[in-house]
Amino acid sequence: MSEPRPPIRLMFVDDESRILRSLALQFRRDYEVITQNDPQLALETLRNERIDILVSDQRMPGMNGAELLARARTLQPASVRILLTGYSDLDAAVQALNDGEIFRYLTKPWNPQEMAQTIAQAAEQSRLQRAAPPANDASASDAPTRNVGILLLDSDPVIEARVLELCALGGHHLYRASRLDEAVALLNREHVDILISDLRLGERALSPLLKSLAQARPQALTIVTTPYQDTQALLTLINQARIFRYVLKPVSVKLFERALHAAVTQSRHWQLQPHIAVPRTPEAPRDEQERATVNGLVGMLGRLRERFASRL
Amino acid sequence: MADVGELERLLKPVQALTPEVNVDEVARRFLLDEHRAFLSLPVADAAGQPLGLISRYRLQDIFMRRFGRELWGTQPVSEVMNPAPLVLRIDTPFEEAATQVTTRLSYPVTEDFILVDEAGRYRGIGTVPQLLKAMEDRLVQRNRALHRTLEDLKRSQAQLVQSEKMASLGQMVAGIAHELNTPLGYVGNNVELIRALSEPLFALNDALARLAACLTDPAGDEEAVARAFEAAEQARREADADTLADDLRQLLDDTGYGLEQISELVKGLKDFSRLDRAPSDDVDLNDCVRAALLIARNNLKNRVEVRQQLQALPPLRCAPSQINQVLLNLLNNAAQAMDGDGVILIKTWAEDARVLLSVEDNGKGMPPEVLERIFDPFFTTKPVGEGTGLGLSICYRIIRDHGGSIRVASRPGRGTRFLIALPLQRAAHTAEADSPVDAPSPREAEHV
Repeated sequence: MSEPRPPIRLMFVDDESRILRSLALQFRRDYEVITQNDPQLALETLRNERIDILVSDQRMPGMNGAELLARARTLQPASVRILLTGYSDLDAAVQALNDGEIFRYLTKPWNPQEMAQTIAQAAEQSRLQRAAPPANDASASDAPTRNVGILLLDSDPVIEARVLELCALGGHHLYRASRLDEAVALLNREHVDILISDLRLGERALSPLLKSLAQARPQALTIVTTPYQDTQALLTLINQARIFRYVLKPVSVKLFERALHAAVTQSRHWQLQPHIAVPRTPEAPRDEQERATVNGLVGMLGRLRERFASRL
Repeated sequence: MADVGELERLLKPVQALTPEVNVDEVARRFLLDEHRAFLSLPVADAAGQPLGLISRYRLQDIFMRRFGRELWGTQPVSEVMNPAPLVLRIDTPFEEAATQVTTRLSYPVTEDFILVDEAGRYRGIGTVPQLLKAMEDRLVQRNRALHRTLEDLKRSQAQLVQSEKMASLGQMVAGIAHELNTPLGYVGNNVELIRALSEPLFALNDALARLAACLTDPAGDEEAVARAFEAAEQARREADADTLADDLRQLLDDTGYGLEQISELVKGLKDFSRLDRAPSDDVDLNDCVRAALLIARNNLKNRVEVRQQLQALPPLRCAPSQINQVLLNLLNNAAQAMDGDGVILIKTWAEDARVLLSVEDNGKGMPPEVLERIFDPFFTTKPVGEGTGLGLSICYRIIRDHGGSIRVASRPGRGTRFLIALPLQRAAHTAEADSPVDAPSPREAEHV
C-alpha cells in the first residue's frame, strides 16, 4: 500500500439479476461495482463512464455479450474485457476474442476463488493499460521502426500467400519452421513479434508452445489458424496462451488479413513505446502434466533468451 | 473377379480323340469306365485344336440304322462328329459361360462342351449337369448373401434410428446442462459468500461468550471485563450486523430461487423423457407441449417468441416420451427455419374423437419439391454431417403407430405448419419402440 490508487471500476452485465447481485456482493469490498441487466444500458454506461473491467454474459435479449464486448473495445479500448457464459458457443467465443479482444473466457458455474483471482489479474492489467495509450494506425505509420518479425508455423497455401505478400509489402522478416525444436530455436534466436500457428506442427501439438510463449514472451502476438471447432480448446488458448486472434480454417482471406493487420499495428505500437508494453498475464494450465510441459518450454525459451540478451 | 477359375473346377481332362479314329473305336471308348459320365467325347488335331464332339446320341443314331455299324464303323470320326460344338475358353467368367451353355441347351441334353486355353488349345470337357449344379450352388450363395445384406441393412437402419434418438437426446441434455449453469453459477457463488459473511458472526459469538465468562467470573477484574467488552464491540462492528442481515436474507432468497430453478429443469428433463413412467399412459397432450417447450427453450431463447393456444383436452392414451420426441423435433425444425427472430404458434384442441395439435412458424418455408420428401427417411436439407435426415421420418412413424396422422403445409417465405391428429380410441395397434422405420409414403404432404 505505497500510494492510494483510484478504485477499479468493475461492471457486470447479465440478464439474470441474481447473478449480478451475487457478483456485486462478492466484489463490492475491493472494487467499485456497477451492474446492468440490459446490454443497451451497459452500452450507455460505457459511453458515459470509465469502466476498467467489463464482465459480460453471452446470451442476453437484444444484444449478445460478444457484440457488447466488441463495442466496449471501441468505446473504451483500455478496458479489460471478460466473457462469462454458461453456454459453449464457438462463434461467440471467436467473436469475443477477435472483435472484443477479451482477457478471459469464463464459464458458469464459476469457482468464486478463481473468479476473484481473475478479477485481481484483470485489475492489474487494467492499471498497466491505463498507463499506456492505445495502439492506433497514426502513431505506427510514420515513425521509423525495426521490421516486424513473423514466425509462420502453418503450411496452408492461402495463409502462406497472404503472409508472403504482407512481408514483401511491409519489409517484415519471415521465419518458418517445420518442427517444434526449430520453432523454439527460432524464437530464441530471432525477434519474433507475431506468431502465426496452427495447433499442430507435424505430429506435435503446439498449444504447450503457445502457452509457454505467453509466459516467456508476453509481447509476442499469436494468431491461431486451425480447422478445429472446439470451444473448450479455444477457451484454454484464450485464458492460458493469451492468443491474439483465432482464425478458423479454411480461412477467409478477409478475416485473416484483418487479423494480420491488427497484429502488425499492435507490434509496431509496442516497438515505438517499449516502456508501455503490457504483459498479457496468462492463466497457468490446470493439468499438472501440461503445466510441466509448458514450464519446460518456458525454461528453454528463457535460458536462450538470457543468452540472447547478454549478447546485445 | 471371383468368376475366373470357376470353369477350371468343372474341367474334366478327357483324352481327346484324333480325327482319324474310326467309329467302332469311338464306340469302344464310350464303353470304358472312365468315360461313363460323359455324353460326348472331344475330337482334336495333333496340335490340340478342337475339331468337334461326338456324342453317344449320334452313335446310337448310326448304330440303330440298318447296317449302320457296317456302313459307318470304319469311317473316321470326323465324318460323323458335330464339327461346331460349344467351345469355351477356360477363363471365361462363370456367368457368361452359364449363359452360353444355357442358351444352346436343347432337350434332351446330348453333348458336353469343350474347354480350351487362352491359345485355343484343347484342355478338357465340361458337362452340363455339373454346370447347372454349380449355378444352383451360386444361387444359394447369392441368396444367402442377399439375406445377410438385408439383415445388415435392417440392423444399420435400427442403429441410425437409435443414433438419431441419441443425437436429439444429446442436444436436449446439452441444452438443459447449459440452462443449469446460470442458477448453478449464482447458487454456488452465494454459498461461498454466505460462508464468508457468516465468519464474523461466529467470531462475534465467541467474543460475546468470552465477555459473558468475564462478567460471571467472581475473580474477574475490571480491566479484563473492559478488554472483553472492547473485543465484543470490535467483533460486532466487523460483523456489520445491520447490512449483513439484509445481505444474508437476499443471498438465501436467491439461492432458494436458484435451487427451485434447478429442480424445475431436472423435473422437466424427467417429464420429457418419462423415464419413470409406463411406456403407454393416459396423458394430457398439453403437458407434453409444455415439457417439450422447456427442453427446446435453449434453442429458442431470446430469439423466437412462442405463442401457446392450448385448449383443455381429454386424456390421450399414448407413449408420452415418443410424443415428446415428435414435439421437440417440430419445435427445433421451426426454430431452424427462422434465421432471425420469429414466432412459433402452438395450438391444441379436441374434435370428435381426436385431439389435434398444430405447430406453425413464420420462417423461410419450403418449396413443393422439398415438402414432398420431408417424411422420407434420410431426406435432409442440411449439409452433410448435420442431421441424419431421419427426424421427421421417425415423427411420421411414431404418429402412424399411434393411429394418427401428420400433415404439413408450407409456403416459401411465409412459414410452415404441421398438423398432428391423434385418435382418442385407437385400434389394438400399439406403438413399438424400436422397430425400424418403414419408408413412409409422403401422401400426407399437401401444398398450399
